[in-house]
Amino acid sequence: MRNVTEGCVADAAVGVRLATRSDESDLRELTSLAVQGDRHAIESLLGHLRPMVVRYCRARLGRVSGHYHIADDVAQEVCIAVLSALPRYRDMGRPFASFVFGIASHKVADALRSSVRSAVPTQDLPDGPDEGPGPEETVVRYIEAQHARDLLSRLPHTQRELLILRVVSGLSAEETGNVLGMSPGAVRVAQHRALARLRQLAELESIA
Amino acid sequence: MRTDAVLDALARREPVAGGDPAVRLLGALVADVDSQRLSSVSITPST
Repeated sequence: MRNVTEGCVADAAVGVRLATRSDESDLRELTSLAVQGDRHAIESLLGHLRPMVVRYCRARLGRVSGHYHIADDVAQEVCIAVLSALPRYRDMGRPFASFVFGIASHKVADALRSSVRSAVPTQDLPDGPDEGPGPEETVVRYIEAQHARDLLSRLPHTQRELLILRVVSGLSAEETGNVLGMSPGAVRVAQHRALARLRQLAELESIA
Repeated sequence: MRTDAVLDALARREPVAGGDPAVRLLGALVADVDSQRLSSVSITPST
């Protein structure tokens, strides 16, 4: 078996990109080949999409016991569901990302509805020194990120999804519009309102 | 800075200047989401 992706999400910074028309064309061609069962195309497609799906699931579900195991498991389920649905996928003119994030949104909703939290596996012991941020920085970042999630959860569904897809998953306004069923113009108006609302909530919290 | 440009910069993981608390929070979320290693997984079936 081959690993699709391994390593730090931050290392996969190339996965955080805003789609250009050329990217969309390449992705459409890759999707077409993947639907026909081309193994290399399937691997490339999932390798391209998985980091975005992982970020989306992590942003929506957060950490459990300090780890993203649950979110990463859900992301894995999304990728498997995409893989399973691939032979039945028909290009209806919308970007493949809208199909993927439609599945991701449902999987995250299922996970949020589920009150069952299974045992959290521990991470493998590192082979070398940990070069990541120290405990103080980690805690500060965790608290700020959790605060962001709390405030995002108070936004209307579409505004929350829009900000997460645009910022965390790195989708363009066009791609985000396709996922949410909005025109790019409507996305730009809505994202302005969403950011303003988030700012208002943050300022209210700082006053209280 | 227009909202679109701010969100694009955050999406590209570029620093965004200014004291906007909403932008700071989104930046913190992005940093946290990107921070932990992805587990090694296999998705494609073996041959």
